[in-house]
Amino acid sequence: MTELSPVLSASQQSGLERPVPPATFESLFSNAANSAFGVAIRLTRNQADAEDLVQEAALLAYRAFDSFEAGTNFRAWFLKILTNCYYSKRRREKSRPVTSDLDDTPDLYLYARSGQAGFPTQGPDPASELLDKLGTERIAAAMARLPTDYRMVATLYFMEDLTYEEIAHSLECPVGTVRSRLHRSRKMLQKALWQVAQEDGIVSDKMAQGDA
Amino acid sequence: MTKLNRSNCEEAFRRLDDYLDRQLSPHEIRLIEEHLRICDWCTREFSFEGSVLRGLKRKLRQIDMPPDRVAKVLSSLPRES
Repeated sequence: MTELSPVLSASQQSGLERPVPPATFESLFSNAANSAFGVAIRLTRNQADAEDLVQEAALLAYRAFDSFEAGTNFRAWFLKILTNCYYSKRRREKSRPVTSDLDDTPDLYLYARSGQAGFPTQGPDPASELLDKLGTERIAAAMARLPTDYRMVATLYFMEDLTYEEIAHSLECPVGTVRSRLHRSRKMLQKALWQVAQEDGIVSDKMAQGDA
Repeated sequence: MTKLNRSNCEEAFRRLDDYLDRQLSPHEIRLIEEHLRICDWCTREFSFEGSVLRGLKRKLRQIDMPPDRVAKVLSSLPRES
């Protein structure tokens, strides 16, 4: 809850206190839109579907706005609606089961591969050289390779800086599930990043032979 | 299960993710940091993983919704009568 200012306004001092009007849906949504769009594009994997998802979630949120508790975190409330919306869209589409070759990624995958390929593994920010070479779009492409449940958790974690508890609340699952999915999704993402780096010729195929 | 102590690499590594995400108790954080002070190997691994996480967060957040799309979404909402 927002703390009240100890300084009274002139109208308050004169007894003519006016309540602060509640924030409108439009202003709250405008502030949360970039976050929502960032999450949506990572979930849907393309801009057009992301825009549709945000629009659909905005309509649902607008209709449910009476249930939003003023003063609480609108962005978290909206992201919960957006992720629910994405889940139900996927259920409607009866998506095919996803198998992933990323499942068996060992710990410290990128660390080991980077060392073999001559990228830095020490220093103040050792992974930055590889990540800078990949760039945002290709990192997003690697993220898109994660199976849906893992991509959902990873998206909320990397894009939004939500705590494990907040992610669990958004996805309506136990905190332990978030923790284990996040752990696995980090490993999967490291392998996916390396695959993308290979495909782009940033690292040579020879260096990555012996993949699990 | 082996208890975490200042000289155990395996137990320190098991807590790597929770350490980077600030999910540990102050006591566990202290034990991890004591271990890192005496173990160069773990220090390198923790430092690299932290660098990957920071880099991914930085890169993946470089995206905004086109401004005209925000207006489009808002204009599509039903008007209150």
